[in-house]
Amino acid sequence: MTSETSSPSSNPPTTPAEPSALTTLISSAAISPTTPLSAATLQVLHNLQHQHLWTSLQIHRLPLPEAPPSSSDVSYVSSTATTAFVISGVPPNRIYTHPDEQLFMLERGLRDNDIDPERTFVLPTVEGQSWSLRKMAAVFDSLPQVNEGLASLAPEGGSKGEELQSRDEKEAKIAEYLEYRNSARMTNEWGGKRLLLSMVDRNMGGDGTVVYYVVQEGAVKPRQN
Amino acid sequence: MDTDPALPIPISYISGSYYLFSIDAVTYLRREHHICGVLIGTLPQIPQQNVFLAMPLQLMPEEARLLVDKGVACIVDEVKAHKDGMTSIMEEDRKRYLQDLEAEGLQAMRLQNRRKEQLREEALKNLDAKKAAKASKKAAQKQDNAAGDDFALELFAGGEQAQDAGPQRPTPSETAMAVTPSTSYPPMPSRPTSDQILPSPEVPSSYPLFAHLHTKGYFLSPGLRFGCQYLAYPGDPLRFHSHFLVVSAEWDEEINLMDIIAGGRLGTGVKKGFLVGGAEQTGPGSEDSVRMFSVEWAGM
Repeated sequence: MTSETSSPSSNPPTTPAEPSALTTLISSAAISPTTPLSAATLQVLHNLQHQHLWTSLQIHRLPLPEAPPSSSDVSYVSSTATTAFVISGVPPNRIYTHPDEQLFMLERGLRDNDIDPERTFVLPTVEGQSWSLRKMAAVFDSLPQVNEGLASLAPEGGSKGEELQSRDEKEAKIAEYLEYRNSARMTNEWGGKRLLLSMVDRNMGGDGTVVYYVVQEGAVKPRQN
Repeated sequence: MDTDPALPIPISYISGSYYLFSIDAVTYLRREHHICGVLIGTLPQIPQQNVFLAMPLQLMPEEARLLVDKGVACIVDEVKAHKDGMTSIMEEDRKRYLQDLEAEGLQAMRLQNRRKEQLREEALKNLDAKKAAKASKKAAQKQDNAAGDDFALELFAGGEQAQDAGPQRPTPSETAMAVTPSTSYPPMPSRPTSDQILPSPEVPSSYPLFAHLHTKGYFLSPGLRFGCQYLAYPGDPLRFHSHFLVVSAEWDEEINLMDIIAGGRLGTGVKKGFLVGGAEQTGPGSEDSVRMFSVEWAGM
């Protein structure tokens, strides 16, 4: 770093500094048209990939319904508000365990890392972005049903069987868990649709912090953390 | 114990707030309708404390509205009811009521005196028994010792007897105890007349969310202590910690995303979820349903 800054001072005709890694990433990305929201999406994806070590990351476009006609500022609502981006990926560890689900697992002696992490949706947002219940509901409505969509998107786990073949008992318990989880998803017993709300801070100089919050549809009782 | 009040329960509307003054109504509403309200009566000697609060109970407008909508309660213009009631009381009624009160006070005083008497007799009996035990012990000793102590012992015993006789039963004073009834009926009519009934309370736009959570079995209380609109308890607040910090928004109301983050962070810090929701406006004229979202910190 010091060598880079010292060389322009010794050589008066300066060259513009190299763009930051983030700028390079955003400008080289394939999402078009480039909007503030698509840039934030890339930033969050980058953060998930390199800081939180998520895998199989994908970007999905969600068509959002038009804002109500009562909204006065038409230009503001025009293009960016009608498409939202949602990232999906597989985290290295489980992100969320419903308290009842945790109890179910405890009773069977299952640990968090006995169960493969699932594909999780992440909604990128920027501080100061216009947001409302209508938009939140629209994002949730366009997510696939938990019990349908996620199964098709789930990564193929080939090695899982071999590891556990010696431990039939545990495998049976995992099978029991998975079976119950499917039925719990039909009844929303362990919570309904959920996503991670991620927020990028743009106003305070943008130190690269991304925060993540679990948002779930309906009144889902809090975890015992 | 389970005295159910006559329905609909009159809720007193006094200078913009809703109150209940009958303990039967308060326990009934808490037990059967999950409405807790806030006790606001404090101790006259220590009015600053808020640990021991008692009747009356203040209700949020949402709670009053909910009860009216369910047909459990009605809103009464208390000022009008009071004035009407006072003018309708005849002079004889007033005198009879005062006499009743005095009789009640006398009765209470007599009961108290009788209880005092009983306690006194019991205490004396215990004392006598003790004395007898002591005397028999002393008597056994006396046979061994000289009879010199005898006189002193008798003197002692006599002295104690004299002391016993000293404050001999103060004649129960026939002054009646002052009785302050917590309700203003019987002298006033207990049921409000139809012209004293007010229309349904005005409620803030968060009412649909309030009612929705209430139908799901949550007990709701004001949320000032956690910087939200309502606290949602999964059962009676005396038995459970609350599950949610509830904030309501209108369907197209601009939400500051930072508020969601702040709420989620605060909720997680106090082992609760942050719940934001509101009535969904699907279209003009269609029935509104309530959508809500719970937020927790993801821990990453």
